Amino acid sequence: MAYSLYHTLNISCQDMLNRMMDLDTIANNLANVNTVGFRGSRMNFQELLSEQKLEGNTLINTQVSNNQGVITRTDNPLDWAIQGNGFFAVKLPGGEIGYTRDGMFQLDSKRQLVNSSGYLLKWDGQIPKETTSINIENTGEVIASLSDGTLKSVGKIQLASFANPTALINAGNNVWIPSEASGKAQMVTPGTSGCGIILSGAYEMSNINLADEMTHLIRVQRDFQVTSKVFQQTDTMISEAIHIRKV
Amino acid sequence: MIKGLYSAVSAMVMNANRQQLLSHNVSNMDVPGFKQILSTAEDYMQTTVIDPLDILEEKNSPREVGLLGLGVQNGQEVIDFSQGGIEVTNKIYDLAIQGTGFFHIKTPDGERYTRDGRFMRDASGMLITSEGYQVLGKNGQPIKIADGTVEIGSSGEVIIDGVSTSQLDLVEFEKPEEILRHDQGNLFMTDTKPTAAKNSTIIQGALETSNVNAAQVMTQMIEILRAYEAAQQMVQNQDELLGKTISSLGRIG
Repeated sequence: MAYSLYHTLNISCQDMLNRMMDLDTIANNLANVNTVGFRGSRMNFQELLSEQKLEGNTLINTQVSNNQGVITRTDNPLDWAIQGNGFFAVKLPGGEIGYTRDGMFQLDSKRQLVNSSGYLLKWDGQIPKETTSINIENTGEVIASLSDGTLKSVGKIQLASFANPTALINAGNNVWIPSEASGKAQMVTPGTSGCGIILSGAYEMSNINLADEMTHLIRVQRDFQVTSKVFQQTDTMISEAIHIRKV
Repeated sequence: MIKGLYSAVSAMVMNANRQQLLSHNVSNMDVPGFKQILSTAEDYMQTTVIDPLDILEEKNSPREVGLLGLGVQNGQEVIDFSQGGIEVTNKIYDLAIQGTGFFHIKTPDGERYTRDGRFMRDASGMLITSEGYQVLGKNGQPIKIADGTVEIGSSGEVIIDGVSTSQLDLVEFEKPEEILRHDQGNLFMTDTKPTAAKNSTIIQGALETSNVNAAQVMTQMIEILRAYEAAQQMVQNQDELLGKTISSLGRIG
C-alpha cells in the first residue's frame, strides 16, 4: 500500500465530487416529479482500484428507470398514455428522431399531431380536414369521426421498442435518444414485443417515486458529511506530521 | 533511543495507511454489494536487548535482558463479507442476494464473483453487470433474456412470460474471507471452484447496500486519529530527549 496522506485526501475529494453529481441527478428527478411521461435516472458508482491501489469510487454509467408511471385519466381523446415499455417517436427540430413517453398531443394548424413540447409525432397517416374528433385504439389504430357522422381509420401509430431502454440518453425536453448500449429503436405495433398498449384519454405521470428520491437524498447528504469528516481528519493528520518537530 | 523514534514513526505510518483504507470504505458506502475492507496491525520485528553495562565493561558474554519490539506494520487486509441491508429499487434487473451466495460473472480476465446485482439487459439481449460483463448461468453459459415479461425467481431462475428459460449461477465458498481475493470494481477472484449456494435467495427489484456502517466508521476514525496523535507525541518526546542528551550531557558546571 502506497503511503501518502495526500492520496487519502484525493480519495475523499473525488468521493465528495461524485456525491455532488449524484445530488444533481436527484435534484433533476425531483424537479420533474410532475412532468408528464418523465423517466427518472440513477447514477451507478463503482469501486475503483488501480493495480490494487485504493482509489475510492467512480461513476460508471447513468441508468434510466423504466418503471411504469401512474396513469391518470383526463378523458381528452388526444391524451395518450403507454402502458408498457414503448416510446412515441417524434421529429426533433434538427430533423432527427427522438423518443418520448409524453403523450399529451394536440392538433396544430396543419392538422398534424404535436406533443406538449411541440414535437411532431412520427406516424403513418393523415388527419382529414372534415374531422370532428379523433380516437385511438389500444393497438395504435387512429380513428377519425368525420363531420358526416362516419368513422374512418386514418392511420396507425407504432411504438419504438429498445432492447435496453435503461441506456437511453436524455436529450432534454423529455426526449430520449438511443445509444450504443440501448440498441436501435424497433418500431412495433402496440401490444407486441413488450412495448405496451396505448391508452386513450389518459396520460402517464412521471415515474419518480418521491419517497425513494427523498431517501436517496438523505443518504447522499449523510455520505457527504461522513466523507467531509474523513477529509478533515486526513488534513489534521497531515498538519500533525508537519508539526512533528517542536521549534 | 533512536530505536524508539523509529517505532513511533512506524505507528504513524501504520495509522496513515489505516486512514486511507477507511476513506476508501467511506467512498464506497453507497455502492451496492460493496464489502468493507478491514485493516489489521501486526508487530514489526523484535530485537534482543543486551545489558549496556556489560558492553561498557567489555564482558565476553554480555547478558541478554529481553526482547524489544521495533514498531508496528500493517497486516493483511481482511474483507468483511457480512450481509448488507436490502434496499428496494423496483427495477426488474436489480437483484439482491440474501445469504452467503455470489453471482458468477465472466470478464475478459477470467471468471469473477460479485454481490453487486445492478444488472441490465444489453442491446443484444444478454444480462450484463453495470460494467458490461456477462452474468453466467448454471450451465456455464451467459444468460440471455428474450423479449417478454421478465421475472427472476428466488433461486435465480429466469422466467420469461411464465416459462423458465435459464437459471443464474448462484455460488458460495466455505470460507470466502480466506479464499477470495479483491479484484477491481467490487469483484472477487479465486482459483478455488465454488459450490452451488444452498441457503441464499435472490430478491428481484432490490439491491444489497454496502456493509460499511457510518457509526462504526466514525469510531474507527477517532481510534486512528488518537493513535496517530499519540505516536506523533512519542516522536516529539524522543526528539526532545535526544536534544537534551546532546546539549546537556557532559556539560560541566
